[in-house]
Amino acid sequence: MLALVLILPLVGGLFNACFGSRLPRPLQALIASGAVFASFLAALACWPQATGAGLHVNLFTWLQSGGFTAEVGLLFDPLAAIMTLMVTGVAGLIHIYAASYMADEHDQARFFALLNLFVFAMLTIILADNLLLMFLGWEGVGFCSYALIGFWYRKAENARAGRKAFIVTRIGDLFFTVGLLWLFSLFGTIGIEAINGRAAELDPTTLTIISLLLLGGACGKSAQLPLMSWLPDAMAGPTPVSALIHAATMVTAGVYLLCRMFPLVSLSTMALDVIAVVGMLTALYAATCALAQTEIKRVLAYSTMSQVGYMFLAVGLGSVSAAMFHLLTHAFFKALLFMGAGCIIQLAGHENNIFLMGGLRKRSRSVFWLFLIGLLCLAGAPLTDGFFSKDLILATAFAHGDPFHLSLYGLGVLTAGLTSLYSFRLAYLVFGGDYRGEELPHAVSKVMIWTLVPLGISGLAGGFLNLPHFIGGHAWLSHWLGRDNEVPNLSLQTEYYLLALAFGTFLLGWLIAHLRYHRFVEREPGPVSGFFLSGWRCDAFFDRLLIRPFRQLCRFCWQGVDLALIDGLVESFSRACFVWGHVLRYLADGKISRYLQSFAWGLLLIVSWFLLRAIA
Amino acid sequence: MIVPLEHLLILSTTLFFLGLVCVLVRRNLIMILIGVEVMLNAVGLTLVGASSFWQQLDGQIMVIFLMAMTSAEVSISLAMVVYLNRRKQSIDIRSFDEMRG
Repeated sequence: MLALVLILPLVGGLFNACFGSRLPRPLQALIASGAVFASFLAALACWPQATGAGLHVNLFTWLQSGGFTAEVGLLFDPLAAIMTLMVTGVAGLIHIYAASYMADEHDQARFFALLNLFVFAMLTIILADNLLLMFLGWEGVGFCSYALIGFWYRKAENARAGRKAFIVTRIGDLFFTVGLLWLFSLFGTIGIEAINGRAAELDPTTLTIISLLLLGGACGKSAQLPLMSWLPDAMAGPTPVSALIHAATMVTAGVYLLCRMFPLVSLSTMALDVIAVVGMLTALYAATCALAQTEIKRVLAYSTMSQVGYMFLAVGLGSVSAAMFHLLTHAFFKALLFMGAGCIIQLAGHENNIFLMGGLRKRSRSVFWLFLIGLLCLAGAPLTDGFFSKDLILATAFAHGDPFHLSLYGLGVLTAGLTSLYSFRLAYLVFGGDYRGEELPHAVSKVMIWTLVPLGISGLAGGFLNLPHFIGGHAWLSHWLGRDNEVPNLSLQTEYYLLALAFGTFLLGWLIAHLRYHRFVEREPGPVSGFFLSGWRCDAFFDRLLIRPFRQLCRFCWQGVDLALIDGLVESFSRACFVWGHVLRYLADGKISRYLQSFAWGLLLIVSWFLLRAIA
Repeated sequence: MIVPLEHLLILSTTLFFLGLVCVLVRRNLIMILIGVEVMLNAVGLTLVGASSFWQQLDGQIMVIFLMAMTSAEVSISLAMVVYLNRRKQSIDIRSFDEMRG
C-alpha cells in the first residue's frame, strides 16, 4: 500500500511522458491529477500505521557492494506521514488547478509528466529510509524544478532562470553529497534511523561539520542565504509550478531534511545556532526584499523565502514540531496565494506588475476573499493558521531566554511586522482603488477558483492542528510527532503578552500599509526601494564575486591555455617544420654539378676521418 | 717490383684528383663520364700496385671485376647521354636541372 503512494505518480508521469501527447488533452490532465489523488488516498489508508517508529517497507535492494547496501526502502513514520499527506493533497489540488490554468498551452503532456515526476521525486525524499534514496529524490526534484521553470523554454530568460535554479541548488547538493558520503564512511551505513541512532558516537567537531554540510544542502533547496538568489527568478515558470514547487513542497525539502536528521543535528549546539541565524537572517532579508517588489509572483517568492527562514529558525531552536507546523500551514496558504495569484494574473490580462493592477476586488469577489485569506494567514492575522505557527516559533525562541535567542525573537517579531506590511501592500495594490492596467480582463474559470476553497479552509482552520494548550488546544501536531516536550513552557501571562505583541506587530504592519498604499500614488522608486527590489543587489554581488572571476578564468583557460599554449605549441611546431623544409629544399636544387660537389666534400670528409684515425 | 709503391700511389692519386676535378669542373656530360673513368682507373691502378706489393692476387681479380663493371657502366651511361641529347639537343649538365625541390 505504501509503495502505491510512491509508484502512482511515477506511473502517471511515465505514462504521460510516453503516450500523453497522443491522448486528448483532458485525459492527460485527468491521468495526472488522478494519479496524485490516488496517491493521496493511498497515503490516507496508510495513515493508521504511521504511529511510533512507523511503518517500514523494503521494496528491493538497489545496490550491494561489499559492506555497502542501498535498499529502496520506505519509512512511514509520523513525520513522513504528515508530509506525505500535505504533499499529495496540495499537489492534487494544484494538478486540478493546472489542468484549467494550462488548458490553452501547448505541450500539456510534458507539463503534466514533469509535474507527476516531481511529486514522485518529492515523495521519494519524504519516504526514503536511507540518505542515498533521499538524495535520488533530492536530485529528482531539482531536475523537475529546472525543467518546469524553463517550461516555456523558447523565451531565453525562462531557460536562464531554470539553469540558474539548477546550478545554485546543485551547489547546495554538493554539500549534501559530501555530508552523505562522510556519514557513510563513519558509520558504514546510509540508513537514516541507523545514523540518527548512532550519532552520539561522533566527536563534536565532526558532528558540527556534518550538520553544517547538511545545512548547506538544505540551504540550496530551500533558498536560504547565501544560496537564495534562484527562487525569485524561478517565478518565470508557470504559476501552478510556482505554487507546487516553489511554495508548498520543494523549498520545504531542506527543512524536512533537517527535521529528518534532527537527532544528529541537535547534538551540535553550534550547528543549531547557525541554522537559527541563517533562517532568521533569510527571513529578514527576504521580507525587506518583498517590500519593494513590483511583480506579484516575486513578492510571493520572497515571502516564501522568508517563511522558510522561519522554519529554519524553528529547527535551529530545536523545535521540529514548530518547524513542521509552520511548514504545513505555509504550504496551505502559500499554495492558496500562488494559485490566487494565477487567477489575479488572468484577471488582469496576463499582467504580472502589481502597479498595473488595482481594483480587482470588483472583478471577482471570490478571488478577492480567497486571496485575502491567504494574505491574512501570511501576515499572521489572529486565529489564522499562520498566526499560530509563527507564534509557536517565536514563543519557542522567547522561551529559551538567553540574549542570543531573545535577539532572534526580536528579529522574528520585526520580520513578522514586515510580513504584515508587504502582505497588505500587496492587497491594497492589487485589489484597492481603480483598475490601472490597459489589458482587457480575462475571465477566470470556476475550476480554478474552486480548487482554492479547500486551501482557504485549511488556511483558516489549520491552526487547530497544533492549537496551544493555553487557549484550550491540545498541541496535536507536537503530540503526533512525539515531541510534546518541545511545546514552550511559559506562564500563561507571558503567552498572552507574546500573543498581544504578535497581534500588535500585525496591526502595525497593516496600519503602515494602509497609510501608504490605500490610495494609489505613483512614486518614483528611491534608492532604498531599488536596493530592496534588486534583492539587496545580491545578484550583482554574486556576479562580481563568482561569475566574473569564473568567466575570466574560463577566458584564461580558453585564450591563455588552449589558444596560446596548446595551439601555439602545435602550430609553432608545424611552422618550424615548414620553415626548415623551405630551407632544406635548396639542397635539392636540381643542379648536378652541385650534387657532385657535395659528393666530393663527402669524400673529403670520409678520407680525412680515416686519416685522422690512422694518425691517432 | 720494378716500380716502387710510392711512385705508383703518387701517380694514382694524381690521376684520381685529375678525374675528380674533371668531374666537378666540366659541364659536358661526356667529359664528366671520362673524369669518372679516370678516377675508376686510378683506383684500379692502386689495387694492382698494392696486389703486387703484397704478392696477393685479390687486388688483380678485383681489377678485372672493376673493368667488367666499368664497361657495363660506360655502355649504360653513354646510352643515357644519347637519350638525354635527344631530349634537350644538348649535353650540357646545366640544362638538366628540373629535379629541383
